[in-house]
Amino acid sequence: MNKTFDRFASVAFLAIGTLFVIESRKISESAYGSNVGPDIFPMYLGVILVLLSLRLFYETFRYRTDGKAEKEKLDYKRFSVILGAAILYAYFLEDIGYVISTFLFLVIGFQTMQKGKLWVSAVISALFTLVVYFVFVEVLKGSLPGFPSWLGLS
Amino acid sequence: MQTLEYLGHGLSVAVQWHNLLFAFIGVLIGTAVGVLPGIGPMSGVALLIPVTASMTAGLGPEQAAISSIILLAGVYYGAMYGGSTTSILLNTPGESSSVVTTLDGYQMARQGRAGAALAIAAIGSFAAGLVSLIGLIFLAGPLSELAIKFGPAEYFSLMVLGLAAVSGLAGKSMTKALIMTVFGLLLASIGIDNVSGVARFTYDNPYLYSGLEFLTIAVGLFALGEVFKTILEKEQTDGTLAKITRVMPTKQDLKDSAAPIARGSLLGFFIGVLPGAGATMASFFSYIMEKKLSKNRDKFGQGAIEGVAAPESANNAAAGGAMIPLLTLGIPGSGTTAILMGALIMYNVQPGPLLFQDHPQVAWGLIASMFIGNIMLLILNMPLVKVFAKIIETPPKYLIPLIVAISVFGVYAVQYTTFDLLLLIGCGVAGYFLAKNDYPLAPLVLGLVLGPMIENNMRRALTISNGDFMIFLHKPISAVFIAAAVLWLVVPMLLRLRGKKVLVNEEG
Repeated sequence: MNKTFDRFASVAFLAIGTLFVIESRKISESAYGSNVGPDIFPMYLGVILVLLSLRLFYETFRYRTDGKAEKEKLDYKRFSVILGAAILYAYFLEDIGYVISTFLFLVIGFQTMQKGKLWVSAVISALFTLVVYFVFVEVLKGSLPGFPSWLGLS
Repeated sequence: MQTLEYLGHGLSVAVQWHNLLFAFIGVLIGTAVGVLPGIGPMSGVALLIPVTASMTAGLGPEQAAISSIILLAGVYYGAMYGGSTTSILLNTPGESSSVVTTLDGYQMARQGRAGAALAIAAIGSFAAGLVSLIGLIFLAGPLSELAIKFGPAEYFSLMVLGLAAVSGLAGKSMTKALIMTVFGLLLASIGIDNVSGVARFTYDNPYLYSGLEFLTIAVGLFALGEVFKTILEKEQTDGTLAKITRVMPTKQDLKDSAAPIARGSLLGFFIGVLPGAGATMASFFSYIMEKKLSKNRDKFGQGAIEGVAAPESANNAAAGGAMIPLLTLGIPGSGTTAILMGALIMYNVQPGPLLFQDHPQVAWGLIASMFIGNIMLLILNMPLVKVFAKIIETPPKYLIPLIVAISVFGVYAVQYTTFDLLLLIGCGVAGYFLAKNDYPLAPLVLGLVLGPMIENNMRRALTISNGDFMIFLHKPISAVFIAAAVLWLVVPMLLRLRGKKVLVNEEG
């Protein structure tokens, strides 16, 4: 168990619970003839969440500290590259189109997982991208932003 | 008999060629998902919801619902089977319900009996599928007829019981499980309130008016969460793959495992019906039971075929049993069934007692397709075991980026917004860190799915009683549910306080 994470999480959930309680009080109380309006449910849940997070916070003091937990070596470098690439991919998907963005993301992803064999990565990425695009847009008549309009392809 | 008539009708739905195809794709992908380390049944089903949604886009609404639920259920029980392959060949369970199978399965593989172990697992899974199917046929009708008489108060309490059962048994800390449940319920309240039409917690953000999309959150938490875990923790399977020589089990093997399969199926089925207790517990208990019943106990752990047959039957039977509360009561008892329920709701099919009246095609079609799917699994797996064993060798360096790309494609193809894509990635990061620190994700998804229904039933009940909360205790059936819910939370807590080890259900 990770004490720091649990404390941080309990404070975060406490904040979320409080926020829901405060914000649900702003919702107009009743819209129709009932005295049970849309604010009741989230408000009670918010209160429960506050109580539970206080309980979690209290529990973090009762952990037996069983020595130093062995530090795992986490591969943060690879993770942040792929996470960053995924965020950029999601953010620019509509601007540069599905085909280009997916291709770029996959090549970066494959190369981050293991360097080398650039052409294999490129071929697999291109295959995946084109197959998905073709099947979805042409066969299933779905809609995806294909290519950016400034390329003038469509 | 009316039930048989319905079943025949369902069968005619299930044997339509496209539904056969969907069932086949489902069990095929499911087996692959079970074999691949790093994706479990939950992330597999979540990942495939948007894919099936686009595949079934050309069909009518009810047809699309049937076809995709047939495929997704196929993935679910296919994965249950596939997980055993890695347990036996690699000593690495593909998903948590196959952990017990490693004990004897891997030993059998080391003695050169890998083929027999795999075959028995397939036969056991098939028998278990049949048992749970028969149970489903006989229990579904009466249960839904009973549940149809429930009023809003009873329904509210029943759902509270479902949530309590899942939270009480999920993960190491009950506090954390409860936090996740409540958090899921709160997330479900975002969006336009469907009783009064008031916007809640939307802050004039147009993306939030329809609420947070269940699909985005499920795919993010499970599929991306596991991807990030694999990247960060460099999971490597370094066991050597056992060779498969002879696939057919000997007569002695079949004789030895017949009784364990029957017992495992029955036990697994009843454990599966209980909410909260899932396939993992079923396989665990049936292994313990076989060990107690066996005449030569020392054989267990040394490659006893009973030790493969019983848990493998039990976990498949539990997967089937878990469909009962989902279909008849509309209450999913595990993470995977919660995701299946989310998929059904996406198609405007509300699981619950009315399902058998309003959409008999969907309900009975699904039940009949489970039978066909199980036959397909058996046919598929006996000769193709060697092919599936090859899937284990898929290099993760290609798999990981592809799963991210499939998640992004899936969510975008259904939602068409960049907002959902960013939410997806955010959920992936949150899913990794929460799961790593023992915050179980299944209760969160369950809360998210059940949230709107719990709230509506609570408000309807309170409207009837003029805001008096005692209505939940005055109605006898509702009071029983509430009492059971309280017991479900208090008993494990007391056991823990007394220092007893409580078997918790891992995600599954």
